[in-house]
Amino acid sequence: MIVASRREKAAYYLYVIPAFVCFGVFIFWPTIQSFYLSLCKYSMSSINKDPKFVGLYYYEGLFTSDKFWQVMKNTGVFTLFTVPVSMIIGLLLAVMVHSKLIKHKTFYKVALYIPYVSSMVAVASVFKILFNSNMSASVVNQLLVNLGFEKVNWLGDPTWAMFVIILVSMWKSLGYIMIIYLGGLCGISDDIYEAADLDAVTPWKKLTKITAPLLKPTTFFLLATETISSFQVFTPVNIITNGGDPFGSTSTLITFLYDEGFKSGTMGKASAISVVIFVILSILTVIQKKLTDED
Amino acid sequence: MSRPKNALSDKNTQSYKRSQRVKSIGMNIILIIITIFMLTPLLWMLSTAFSPNTLIPPAKLLPHDITFENFSRAWFFPKEIGLNDQLTMGTFLMNSLIVTIAITIGGIITDSLAAYVLAFKDFPGKNLLIFLALATLMIPSYVTLVPQYIIISKLKWLNSYQAQIVPFLASGMGITLFRSHFLSVSKELVESAKIDGASDFRIYSTIVMPIAKPIIATMTILKAMWSWNMYMWPLIVCKKVEMMPLQVSIGFFQGQNVTQWGLLCAGMTIAMLPLLIVFLLCQKFFVGGIQAGAVKG
Repeated sequence: MIVASRREKAAYYLYVIPAFVCFGVFIFWPTIQSFYLSLCKYSMSSINKDPKFVGLYYYEGLFTSDKFWQVMKNTGVFTLFTVPVSMIIGLLLAVMVHSKLIKHKTFYKVALYIPYVSSMVAVASVFKILFNSNMSASVVNQLLVNLGFEKVNWLGDPTWAMFVIILVSMWKSLGYIMIIYLGGLCGISDDIYEAADLDAVTPWKKLTKITAPLLKPTTFFLLATETISSFQVFTPVNIITNGGDPFGSTSTLITFLYDEGFKSGTMGKASAISVVIFVILSILTVIQKKLTDED
Repeated sequence: MSRPKNALSDKNTQSYKRSQRVKSIGMNIILIIITIFMLTPLLWMLSTAFSPNTLIPPAKLLPHDITFENFSRAWFFPKEIGLNDQLTMGTFLMNSLIVTIAITIGGIITDSLAAYVLAFKDFPGKNLLIFLALATLMIPSYVTLVPQYIIISKLKWLNSYQAQIVPFLASGMGITLFRSHFLSVSKELVESAKIDGASDFRIYSTIVMPIAKPIIATMTILKAMWSWNMYMWPLIVCKKVEMMPLQVSIGFFQGQNVTQWGLLCAGMTIAMLPLLIVFLLCQKFFVGGIQAGAVKG
């Protein structure tokens, strides 16, 4: 190591200043501010007035409001369905595409990955037409009727509306999950499978006893990132069900935050919601870290 | 990829080969069905965009009459919905392009500059900075939304490009990825250049960055994809139509209760196409880049 002069050392800070000023102004300071503002009355319309300290007023309001527990439940249901199902299908797709018996690997990879690079706004808009709330205009209903089924009120029914949101989210993330699993599969040596072949191990056993355990780190990574991003779902809800229709049955934590902070302009309440989101996601991250470390 | 023959010689029988072929066909059928299912919404969008407008959206994957009219009308959709006669989708495309390019290039420069000294130099506070860069990854972006908006508003940056660019000029993930890549390329190379009397900026720009091409490619893809598809933040800070990026503008378009399905689908197609073309041209980098970002980020 060459000893640097004081002047040189001072110059090092010039390299880090742009990045860390940006972090300071747009990440760290706002994070602290969020905690502070959650204790204050502060509205978007009088943004230049000083926030008025009101203590835990908004937290009390949140935890006793039905709306809050509704969005918590919706977000939980969304995450509990989206994450496991898309991860299982993504893993199966990866195993199939990785198999030596499949020739056109690149074709499948590219085709299945296209949804992930597509814009969520455009995709959600397309799904909104396919499952149109005008029941006879819905393309999916036209197909159902042709097949002899009843029409479904996709976006007018709370359960089906949530189903559509889950469907579009899974549809979009499947390719990503598959690609990440493919990366994990490439790290597994072929020798293990050849040895298994010699012992005539069934494909199902190969998947459950060899592949899945060896992919544990990848699974933990995906579980953590997918759970965290599912908890922050916003765009499909905002587009397909106008932020929570019908009757708030598809509203999530982030659409709630958006409504309170940027539609109603009650920024104190919105900050309290963001602190709650922060706490929930921190707990999830700690759990994920514990699980990974134990491994 | 072929198995060693001797290891499986006892299995190289006719029946084994046949069962392998059956498996192969079976898996291909499953994969093709899933692929078709995955692509159906997009194929339907394309087909509807090329079809004449009908009262109810067509439940078909092939257009009956091909027309380009939807595209030319969608291009002028602000006029179509009676919003503004001057604006076209070109304006929104341009806004998105400016924001995406600025975030991608600017972000790569700030991230790599910071990563350079954090990888190769020793100075007081270095470990704290590394910790802070990692800490940014733990803070969900929505948590900072309200105060960020207040800062932007106090800076008088609402409805500007700065508001869409500056907050994202640095990323903890970028710094972390660059730093670990820099550390894996030889540290000696940097030190010997230093002995030869090269200045730090020269070492950074002529030695370190050229070796870092793979990670630059990864970061370009991650940042470009992310900023092109960014939606909620510009939705909040851009209330003026002429400043809206593409995603926000088409979100706005579909929110106008337009029932001309072909027109809507043409708009969505235009919004989706640029990134899709880039993806199809450099799909290798995309797949590798996403995997690299996942493993280390």
